[in-house]
Parts: sequence; C-alpha cells; structure tokens
Amino acid sequence: MDTLMQFGTGVFGTAWPAVWTLIKIVLIVAPLMLGVAYLTYAERKVIGYMQVRIGPNRVGPLGLLQPIADGVKLLLKEIVVPSGANRFLFVIAPMLSLAPALAAWAVVPFTDTLVLADIDASLLYILAIGSMGVYGVVLAGWASNSKYAFLGAMRAAAQIVSYEIAMGFALVVVLMVSGSLNLVDIVQSQQKGTFADMGLNFLSWNWLPLLPLFVVYFISGVAETNRAPFDVAEGESEIVAGFHVDYSGMAFAVFFLAEYAEMILIATLTSLLFLGGWSSPVAFLPDGIVWLLAKICFMLLFFLWFRATFPRYRYDHIMRLGWKVFIPLTVVWLFVVGIWMMSPLNIWK
Amino acid sequence: MLENYFPILMFILVGLAIGVLPVLMGWLLAPSRPDSEKLSPYECGFEAFEDARMKFDVRYYLIAIIFILFDLEIAFLFPWATVFKDIVASEPMRFFGFIEVAIFLTIILVGDAYAWAKGALDWE
Amino acid sequence: MDFKTTVFFFLSAILIFAGLRVITARNPVHAVLHLILAFFTSAGLWLLLQAEFLAMVLVMVYIGAVMVLFLFVVMMLDINLDQLRQGFWKYLPLGAVIGILIAIEMGMVLGSRYFQVLDSEVPGVAANASNTRELGALLSTDYVYPFELAAVVLLVAIVAAVALTFRGPKKTRYTDPAAQIRVKAADRVRVVKMPVEKQD
Repeated sequence: MDTLMQFGTGVFGTAWPAVWTLIKIVLIVAPLMLGVAYLTYAERKVIGYMQVRIGPNRVGPLGLLQPIADGVKLLLKEIVVPSGANRFLFVIAPMLSLAPALAAWAVVPFTDTLVLADIDASLLYILAIGSMGVYGVVLAGWASNSKYAFLGAMRAAAQIVSYEIAMGFALVVVLMVSGSLNLVDIVQSQQKGTFADMGLNFLSWNWLPLLPLFVVYFISGVAETNRAPFDVAEGESEIVAGFHVDYSGMAFAVFFLAEYAEMILIATLTSLLFLGGWSSPVAFLPDGIVWLLAKICFMLLFFLWFRATFPRYRYDHIMRLGWKVFIPLTVVWLFVVGIWMMSPLNIWK
Repeated sequence: MLENYFPILMFILVGLAIGVLPVLMGWLLAPSRPDSEKLSPYECGFEAFEDARMKFDVRYYLIAIIFILFDLEIAFLFPWATVFKDIVASEPMRFFGFIEVAIFLTIILVGDAYAWAKGALDWE
Repeated sequence: MDFKTTVFFFLSAILIFAGLRVITARNPVHAVLHLILAFFTSAGLWLLLQAEFLAMVLVMVYIGAVMVLFLFVVMMLDINLDQLRQGFWKYLPLGAVIGILIAIEMGMVLGSRYFQVLDSEVPGVAANASNTRELGALLSTDYVYPFELAAVVLLVAIVAAVALTFRGPKKTRYTDPAAQIRVKAADRVRVVKMPVEKQD
C-alpha cells in the first residue's frame, strides 16, 4: 500500500489525492454497475422460476451474457426526442435521476474502515440526496409533453414524497437508539446487547426491537423506487410505462440504471440500519464485507419476490397506506421507543 | 471536517458523468432517422388534441404542502434524536427532554388529525 | 489562493449565475431549475462554513420539498408572459423602492464589521464537534420555548393549507367491491307468492 502511495505521488504529484479518490470511486461504481446489470438478469431468472418458466437462457451459458446483449442493443437504438418535447429538459432528466442514486453511495460504509467519505452526518446526507431523486421523474414526465408521461410523473411524485416521510420518521427512531448520524456508528451500536453477549448477535440487531419500523422502512423503500406492487407510475396496462413512455435507447437505459441502483441502495441501507451491516449473525464467525453482501442480496430477493407475487396496488390504496397507516405507525413507535428508553427496561445503554 | 466532503463532491461529478456518457455514446453510435410520425408524442393512434400540460387536481398541491411541513418536522426531530441517548443517561434532564418532544409532536399531530378529519388525505 | 478559496469563488460564481437566471429565464420551469441550482450551491457554501447540519437540511427541505411544490405549481399553470408583462411599468416604482431597501439592509448587515455594529466574532468550531449533536443539546435545553413555538407555527401552516385549498371530497360515484361481494341473493331477489291472475 505504501509503495502504491509513493508511486502515485511520484507520478501525479499534488494531484495524487484526487486521483486516488477517483480510483476509489471507480472501485465502488464499477461493481455497482455490474450488480445492476446482473440484478436485471437475476430478476428475470427468479421471476421466471417462480412462474415455472426458465427465463433468459439463450445468450451465453445459462443466459449469463443476456444483460450485456441488452446493453449493446439499447446502445444501438435511436434516441427519439418527440417533437413537442422540451429538448434540453428531456435530455437532462435521466441524468438528474441517476446522479442522486449514485451520489448517495459516497457515504455508504462497507466495513468499519472501508468507507469513502466518513462524514459525521452521513444519514442526513443520504436523506438529503435521496430527496432529490424525484426531479428526474417529474421533469421527464413534463418534458415529454405526452399525457401518459405527465400522468405517470404526477403519480410518481406524489407517491415518492408520501413515502419519504414514513422513511424519515423510521430513521429518527433508529437515530434515537443509536445516538449517532454516522452509519459506521449505527452499525457498531447494533453489535452489543444482551443477545450479543450470549453469542446470538442477530437478535441484537435493530430489526427485532424496531420490527414495525424495519417493515415500514423497507416497504417505503419499495414504494420510493416505484417497484411492484407500487408501480402505478409505470402501470404498463393503463398508462403504458408512465413517465418514460417517450424515452428510447440509452436515454431509457439511464432511467433503468437509476431505478436498479436505487433498489440496491435501499437494500444496502436496510441491511446497515436494521440488519447489523457487516457484523456476523453469530459470535463465532468473523465479521466482514461478505455478510453485508449476503444481506444485500437477501433484501434484493424481496424486491423480486414482491414483484412476482403481488398484484399492482390501486393508487388510492397506495396513498392511504402511506399517509394513514405508515406515518401514524412510525409516530406511535417513536413514542413507544422513547418511553422504553426512559424506563428501567432500556436495552440501549 | 471539510476534507471528508471532497470525495462526495467528486462522487457527485462522477455520478453526473455516468449519466451523460451513455446518452452521448447512444447519440454517436445509434442511427438517427426521424420522421414526423416517429416524433409525434405517444397517443392511442390519433394525434394529440391539445398540449399535455394541463391543470391538475388541487390534491397534488395539498400533498406537496403537507409533505413540506412533515419534512420540516423531521428536520427538527433529527438533532433531538441524535442526543436522546445522552438525555436518557443524564438524570436531571430525562423527563424534560422527552416531554418536550412529546409536546412538540402532539401539537403537530393536532394538525395532522385536522387534515385527516377534513378528508384531505383521502383519495378516491 | 488555497483550495478552499477556489471552491468558494467557484460556488459563488455559480450561485450568482443561477440567481440571475431565475429572474431572467423566460420559461418558468427553467427558472425553478435554476433556483434549485442556487439552493444546492448555497448548501455548498454553508458546508464551507462548517455548518454541516444546516447545509443538509437546506438540501432536504428546500430542494427536496419546497421546490417540488414550486415545480408542481409552475408546471401546471398556464403562465402567459405577455399578460405578466402588462403591469410592469405600473409596479416598477414600488418594486424599485423595495429592491433598494433590501439592498441597503443587506449592505448594512454585510458591512457591519466595517461600521463596527457587531463587535462579537463568530466562535470557532472545535475540531471534532458534531454540528447536529450541538444543535440537539441546545434545542432540548436553552431553546425549548422556540422549539415548541416552531411546532405551533407548523400547526398553523398545516391547518391553513388544508382550510385554504381543500374543497371537500369530490362527489364521485363508485361501487364498493367489498359491499358487492357481501351481497346475498336474499338482499337482491324477493320471491313473492301471489295467486294467479286470470286473463280476461
């Protein structure tokens, strides 16, 4: 490592810290992009098997090259900009939707020390950056100048903001029990407790005492990403793909990337906040990044499973679930946890 | 503290670049043979009667306003939640620190209850 | 000029440009987008001042919530520029007076060091102090009363928003599937016994 640093300083001089940061960013983004590509493959395979089909199996062994073939196909497709569209906004909308989904990864820790930007307010940063994701959708719908796109964008925007509040309240409670905004501290605070002393670490993670919030947070995450069963924004059968109906080729692919990067982000955050991040479920196994990856895959499986099993929710039901079930539930649980922590039964000391 | 934000700045720039690059590549590599039919906005087989940008149900504005208020509330709760553990640990402050936020939330829940009772949160 | 100063001037330049575009852009949606850019760069400037929490909340509340509402409003209003321009000369004197007043006030605040209005210096920040924790400690001790007042302000805002915009539920007719399923044959069909009527 030291030799690498010396070599880098020798070649790039004072610009080396910037170059080194860039290398680290690539080391995060490249596996992420690969993950996105193979998540689409996994999605088609998993849903295929759940519906007693085989899924993609033609391109490469077991269809493993399918995502690459899809990418190349999209790359060679014409990017159509409709005549009534606002050209500039139409082109930047997909970029505005991808940038926040990627930028949030800057503060995600992978182990105690493996974190790109170890800022004090990392949770706040994720909330702030995450709230910017709605612009890509709204602008895409408006810029296309198509009624379907506009309807989809309005639905998506109202849905995203509704579920953001439930997520925010869930995060407030997580903060109460961990006492820090830093994601590394939040994971470390889950590694101690009565069960952790007995060697059963997984019972000390936040998911058990904060079970309702774990459920609310993850389901809100599914709704935030406009995934099935909350995908009325796309609603193929009624508004033919919603806000990106007029997008084609690579412009469409960027929306696709953003949606899947966001899914992986939600799965990662759920693992960090509620499932102990990189800590191992039992005391006799060492902690490590492997556990985090396993937990992410586990949570991602739920996204696919939901899509294969649930029929699409009706829009008024979605709004009712967000405003009248999730928000009151999180507020009540905030009071419960507050009183719990004041009582002698407090388990978060 | 600021040096930790430098990677974030770079990450945001990289994120934008990753958004721009594919579109740029698609622009260069893909064919471009537009015709008036292809460029017309998507419709069910006929030409659009009017501009798609129409007036919308007031409900959407209302949801956006209520969202702002709740977002502010969360912003107020964040600093308190971060120190709540310390509040619990310090004996004299205990109840005060919790009751204070309980009052805060109760006041706001009155507003929420009003919106609920008026039916502003209903969609049909 | 060190790196921090460079960043400061870079962000300030973007901020001024974005601010100018907000008032000069002809397309209202473009104006709103430039306002978003302005907020984002101001958040960057606040970060340079070590105000971590405030910078994040600026992004979260203003960009994440307030500007969404702005965008909703602007996207769906048919803003006719010619109509808007009609009153330009009529309102110019009033607008100019307000503008000059604001400029004087800002000049006084910014020049306070020169005029020695305030002699207190901004306290330095400890190296590892967490912004948010400090704020939380202050909010739950010294500033409890303003904190509760903020709740009252929010309450007034929410009630006002609902009272001003909400016009009651729409009178739409719809069928309730649950009620339809619960229906039994006895509710819908009545078997009546009656003597056979003779035909004339």
